[in-house]
Amino acid sequence: MAKSFDVVVIGAGTGGYVAAIRAAQLGKTVAVVEKQSALGGTCLIWGCIPTKALLEHAHALKVIQHAAEWGVTIPPGSPAINMPQVHARKDKIVGGLTRGVEFLFKKNKITWVKGTARLAGSGRVDVVEGDKQTLEAREIIIATGSAPRSVPSVTIDHTRIITSDEAIHLKEVPGSLVILGSGAVGVEFASIYRRFGSAVTIIELLPRLVPVEDEAVSAELEKSFKKQGITVMTGTKVTKATASSSGVAIEADTPDGKKGTINADVLLVATGRGPVTTGLGVEEAGITLERGYIKVDELYRTSVPGISAIGDVITLGTGVHPQLAHVSSMEGIITAERIAGQPVQPLNYDHVPGCTYCDPEIGSVGLTEARAKERGYDVRTGTFPFGVLGRAKMAGESEGFVKIVADKKYDEVLGVHMIGPRSTELVAEAVLALRLECTVEELIKTIHAHPTFSEAVGEAAHAAHGAAIHM
Amino acid sequence: MPTPVLMPQMGESIAEGTIVRWIKKVGDAVDRDEPLFEISTDKVDAEIPAPATGVLTEIKVNEGETVAVNSVVATIGAASEISKQEPLGSAPPPAAPSLDSVVPRDVDAPPAKPAATPRKTNGRTAAKPSEDDSRKQRSSPLVRRIARDNDVDISQIHGSGLGGRVTKNDILEYIDSETGTGDSLGAEAPGAKAAGSGTRDTGLGTRAADPGSRVEIKPLSVMRKKIAEHMVMSRRTSAHVHSVFHVNFSTVERIRQQKKAEYEQLGTKLTYMAFIAKAVVSALRRFPIVNASLDGDNVIYKKDINLGIAVALESGLIVPVIKHADEKNLLGLSRAIADIATRARSKQLKPEEVHDGTFTITNPGQFGSQFGMPIINQPQVAILGVGTIEKRPIVVDDAIAIRTMAYLTLGYDHRLVDGATGDQFMAEVKQQLENFDAQ
Repeated sequence: MAKSFDVVVIGAGTGGYVAAIRAAQLGKTVAVVEKQSALGGTCLIWGCIPTKALLEHAHALKVIQHAAEWGVTIPPGSPAINMPQVHARKDKIVGGLTRGVEFLFKKNKITWVKGTARLAGSGRVDVVEGDKQTLEAREIIIATGSAPRSVPSVTIDHTRIITSDEAIHLKEVPGSLVILGSGAVGVEFASIYRRFGSAVTIIELLPRLVPVEDEAVSAELEKSFKKQGITVMTGTKVTKATASSSGVAIEADTPDGKKGTINADVLLVATGRGPVTTGLGVEEAGITLERGYIKVDELYRTSVPGISAIGDVITLGTGVHPQLAHVSSMEGIITAERIAGQPVQPLNYDHVPGCTYCDPEIGSVGLTEARAKERGYDVRTGTFPFGVLGRAKMAGESEGFVKIVADKKYDEVLGVHMIGPRSTELVAEAVLALRLECTVEELIKTIHAHPTFSEAVGEAAHAAHGAAIHM
Repeated sequence: MPTPVLMPQMGESIAEGTIVRWIKKVGDAVDRDEPLFEISTDKVDAEIPAPATGVLTEIKVNEGETVAVNSVVATIGAASEISKQEPLGSAPPPAAPSLDSVVPRDVDAPPAKPAATPRKTNGRTAAKPSEDDSRKQRSSPLVRRIARDNDVDISQIHGSGLGGRVTKNDILEYIDSETGTGDSLGAEAPGAKAAGSGTRDTGLGTRAADPGSRVEIKPLSVMRKKIAEHMVMSRRTSAHVHSVFHVNFSTVERIRQQKKAEYEQLGTKLTYMAFIAKAVVSALRRFPIVNASLDGDNVIYKKDINLGIAVALESGLIVPVIKHADEKNLLGLSRAIADIATRARSKQLKPEEVHDGTFTITNPGQFGSQFGMPIINQPQVAILGVGTIEKRPIVVDDAIAIRTMAYLTLGYDHRLVDGATGDQFMAEVKQQLENFDAQ
């Protein structure tokens, strides 16, 4: 006889496992089907966690490389990175966190079904590989996530031409690395491997790095990357990549119309991630897809009653759906609460923070200056550089700024964009400001502790109203 | 000895009243109980009789001004006492003296006699919201800024955010909808001359017409303003739900025809409304929660059944109340309904006749509406809407028959009354009407 649950979640990434826990907290019986050998999905095993671990290694190396500036004497010989030790530490962190999710499952009495799920119609899920069985579910939540995706001109071979899945496990630091794509994944690996010693070239089809960010942020990052010795090629189209035993030959068209070939040891393709629905039987189940993504409404209901979908695998049909762990988990909570009959409200995707852990790091939320103008706002901005702050001088950080985008008419804070030290943490204040519909004036009146990096937020608010105090 | 004339207390939740018109001028002789001035509050327009015989010596509150209940609005004295201050300046009326010192012992004209102890309201006074009230409505810095710039009262806006918080979208939609209303109002007076300066704050929202547009602008009557405030307040306060029942009035119709002549001899008309009132009273007795109020964390069960009957006036609406309706038989109810309806139309209602209602019946059907979705008359928790009563084909014993039918709608506050209770209440009303006991 089939085991029966109130909720069956397919996929144990940050969307799926959080939805499962929330549903269990609300008194539902929950099973999660996961085909990987550990819980946590892309974020824990392949994405956020391992890359940020590597970035901390890069940061440690950076501090040591600048030891002399800090008056720290280290033995002769240049400091170097030891990859096996790096991976050991990173894997230990990942292992600890995935076991943490297992513990949370036990605590909340969630059944972990190890295998591959397939929708079997009318509230049934077949587990077709692994722990084969049929599950009965009153509600199904699809949280199958995404996987790295290439561009038509480039074929991944997983050795010379790789994706982020391989990039987190490279046994050796490549002598030269070309990165295709300058989204979060691209610029983070650029920072990691440049610091580890690779000669890094980053190629972006669009005219600027991190194209989703405010233009000022892109410009600041490009300036910093160039200073760090990273070759930046924007407006450049890769037409072909040929792997051989000695490396990869990458052919590209530059913006001035020239063709060229770049040779590198490794090509990392970081051009985006596509939805994972293979073998799930979504189309047979009658679920509407859009460009391969599962189409959902604002409360994550698919076209089939009783089946919801959240996270990287979905599209709301209103532009690009952000593929971010914190978005997936919030969608999971909303879906679980809706299923449990709690009052829920749709997510405001203008309030989703983005954090990119390149060096210097980027934190942003809300509308960029250009987007705000597109929406018809009478925009005013205020910018304050971190370098002026006492706190930044102590930390030896001189790069970056905080930029506030505001509506002139009602003084609404529309977006906050920062690049520089602690930006990924500092953005939290801005997220709350947007969520609570804050005005620039309220930010000005908010006391920012001294000496902290957060003073730049208060000063940028002052700047938006005319003049910063310390400039 | 001069007698002070006071602004009467017109209802338990009413804190102030507006002088609409002075019927007498300073210097006029007045008899006791002769109409002296006309007032308007959120529930009633009424003529207020003079509390004593003498000469109107001083008018302290001009027409159009609003003052607190129990404020002295005029003085009646000997002719020689005519105030030197006349005509009136714009100085505010003096603060209301304490009741004991100003109410003459010998004056017992009910309208001018204020309620002994003005009862405390539960914070939902329908009076103009102060800035304090606006603050109580949760909002955001941005919303407050938009409200300030657009002269909008945030407390009038339904908040869709967490905990009823008014969000940016809520206030922008509100401003949009308010503007839309203004445009359609303007269309009613196509030939009217353009107003020079556009509209100002109407007390309800925002600008409804741009300067120079072709509209005619008239100030709202006090009653209209109060109705508007009260209706919006009710919508914001109660979780409105409605149940509609189809009721067979054939039995009622038969009894009505039988007794028509008898009632006419007794000097009154036997209307459907009397039957409905009787059925409602009976159902209210069985379901006391429908005859209750919600006050914070408490339910207040009303021991008396005081039936409000909505009466349409030329330019508004008034809800006189039949006190102790449960103590009246069909004849008594018929008389009471006819009496209050007549007096409502001629502005002869006494102030205490429009408050303390515990349940309201409204009759949109008189103009042909099949059924209405009435808004609750706060602080009550339910209101019955009576649709048009007419012959309709219905199925009786698998045959199509012609019966006198009507839709009755119960609008009720889901905070206190659940669907099951509301429907059981209505089923009781239906059963009472369809099996009406003529005795």
